[in-house]
Amino acid sequence: MAEQTRRRFLGRTGSLALAYALAGCGIEGTLEKAQKAATPIPEVTHKKVPLGNWTFSNWPLYIDKQVIKDFDKQFGGHVKYVEDINDNDEFYGKVRQQLQAGESIGRDIVTLTDYMCVKWVRNRYVEPLDKKNLPNVVNNLVDNLKSVPYDKEREFTVPWQSGAVGIGYNPKKTGRELNSVDDLFDPAFKGRVTMLNEAYDSAGLTLLSMGVNPTEASIDQILAAIEKIQKAADAGQFRRFTGNDYSTDLAKGNIWVAHAYSGDIVQLQSDNPDLKFIYPDEGAMLFTDNMMIPAKAEHMYAAETMMNYVYEPEVAATLAIYVNYLSPVKGVQEVVEKSDPEIANNPLIFPSDEIRAKLHPYPALSETDERTMKEAMAKVTGA
Amino acid sequence: MSLHRRRQLLPWLFIGPGLLWLLIFFLYPLLNQASVSLMTGNPEQGYDLTWAFSNYWDAISEYKEQFGRSIVYAAISTILCLIIAFPLAYYAAFHAGRFKNLILLLIILPFFMSYVLRTVAWQLILSDDGTVVSFFRSIGVLGDDGRLLASSTAVIAGITYNFLPFMALPLYVALEKIDPRLLEAATDLYASRATAFRKVTVPLALPGIFAGSLLTFIPACGDFINAALLGTPQQYMIGNVIQSKFLNILDYPQAAALSFTLMLFILIGIFLYARVLGARNLTQAAV
Repeated sequence: MAEQTRRRFLGRTGSLALAYALAGCGIEGTLEKAQKAATPIPEVTHKKVPLGNWTFSNWPLYIDKQVIKDFDKQFGGHVKYVEDINDNDEFYGKVRQQLQAGESIGRDIVTLTDYMCVKWVRNRYVEPLDKKNLPNVVNNLVDNLKSVPYDKEREFTVPWQSGAVGIGYNPKKTGRELNSVDDLFDPAFKGRVTMLNEAYDSAGLTLLSMGVNPTEASIDQILAAIEKIQKAADAGQFRRFTGNDYSTDLAKGNIWVAHAYSGDIVQLQSDNPDLKFIYPDEGAMLFTDNMMIPAKAEHMYAAETMMNYVYEPEVAATLAIYVNYLSPVKGVQEVVEKSDPEIANNPLIFPSDEIRAKLHPYPALSETDERTMKEAMAKVTGA
Repeated sequence: MSLHRRRQLLPWLFIGPGLLWLLIFFLYPLLNQASVSLMTGNPEQGYDLTWAFSNYWDAISEYKEQFGRSIVYAAISTILCLIIAFPLAYYAAFHAGRFKNLILLLIILPFFMSYVLRTVAWQLILSDDGTVVSFFRSIGVLGDDGRLLASSTAVIAGITYNFLPFMALPLYVALEKIDPRLLEAATDLYASRATAFRKVTVPLALPGIFAGSLLTFIPACGDFINAALLGTPQQYMIGNVIQSKFLNILDYPQAAALSFTLMLFILIGIFLYARVLGARNLTQAAV
């Protein structure tokens, strides 16, 4: 019988493993958990403890590193600041399994965009905040962000920065000034254009060119916009669909026109002063990135201390001067006025009310519509 | 315990750790993903095993373009790798003398740097205003508006570059083992150098060619970094689709179905390859 052992063994272990693999079949969805979580939020108290070594996840080029150094010096402990968020969906895809399993994701603050915060708040992938540790946020948060549909009392989220999604370009390469969303689709720039792979951004901007208000758009209108993008993509109009990573291509001149974030362009201008950002005549999309404490985070007091710290107008001003997005903190323009009047008058950082009126927040889509939109967009981006 | 029983147990003791490793880190994930590939559902409601074999058909019909591209790109890169690596390995094995180790070190050296970084470096090398592009423009290979980056050429170049060591090293090992006296014998028997190369060196190098081709072709088929960094959606390979299905869309069943389909294609390919080139010649070479 010995000569049969190998086969027999493989057979046995094989069927055992098969049984085991199939026994735990099915992947749990988020819905059930979300329903369970839709209970009143408990009042929480996060004790003041030494900050220790804690972790802050953010997007690239989204902070003046001096702020981190000053924070460590003032409050003790050490913040490990990682720039590992390049795309909301990709980041969510990476940590989703741990969140779903109720495990810590090893981060104490994550900074994600509105439509992603919707998911995290709904599924309770976040810890409620202790407002007693956030007096600056309570006092200095700008009025129009005090309440958002997915977090009416700001119990889970604190805005980090807002920004506009418009068009960044190099006039030397395009040979003319741009002013319209349609310029992204101009065949003269074929293969020299990038578009953001985030459907909320790309479909949103395209909807504006079709005369539709993206905040109120129906899923059918959104799909029509994606079809327009698809046609242009098939014709080779777009060189790539990108996250933040269009910046090198744009600065190096590989691309001429980019569907871009306002703050990125202001930063890139220091490398390549030719670059310009426009709010298209049709309007632009407005996003807000929010700080959140992921569920089961270890250093909640440290996270709240940081959130509170960046809401001191002086600190917020340092950030605004560096990151060049729209600050959610009151009184920043006044502080910046004193040190950098040029920045205080830059419409990309402190837009006029007239421009602000043209900025549209993202639509609130149901999970099903959102998935339909994302799948349609994924087909366009080739994946 | 009787000697007989001990004899029976001993082999298990030896293969035990390896077997355990395979069970936990290969067989279990494999079976797990096999069951995922037959599920239906969505990220909110969750996925349930419904034995949806249609996932496979959907995956193939929807992404045949990316499948085809993966195989074509990987095949071209493998051939290019062979063309580049063979002379390199040949020189290192027969003529390099004391520089042999230096050459081998140089082949491995890129591995000291991260894969992604090496590929990003190619972005810079091939950038539109870079020297490579302007050189090709000046000699007329590229039009005035031509580009290398974000094209099939760039993706294939990236794959070829990244997998070259996987071809060069097995080739070197195979060539190095060849006894020079066999070549001398061939010339003694009035074979020209070309004939000796064809009838002696190449057949003896076949195991190396076989191993090198597999080591290059298989990972190249599943690669997504090169297409993502050096290509456009028109160049995306099946790896890009799988990555985005797993991480962005969270459509695990289709991602798993795509992975298994790719694996199946590769296995069939290897089988055919082994039948055509391998089996007969490999045994001949060994004799």
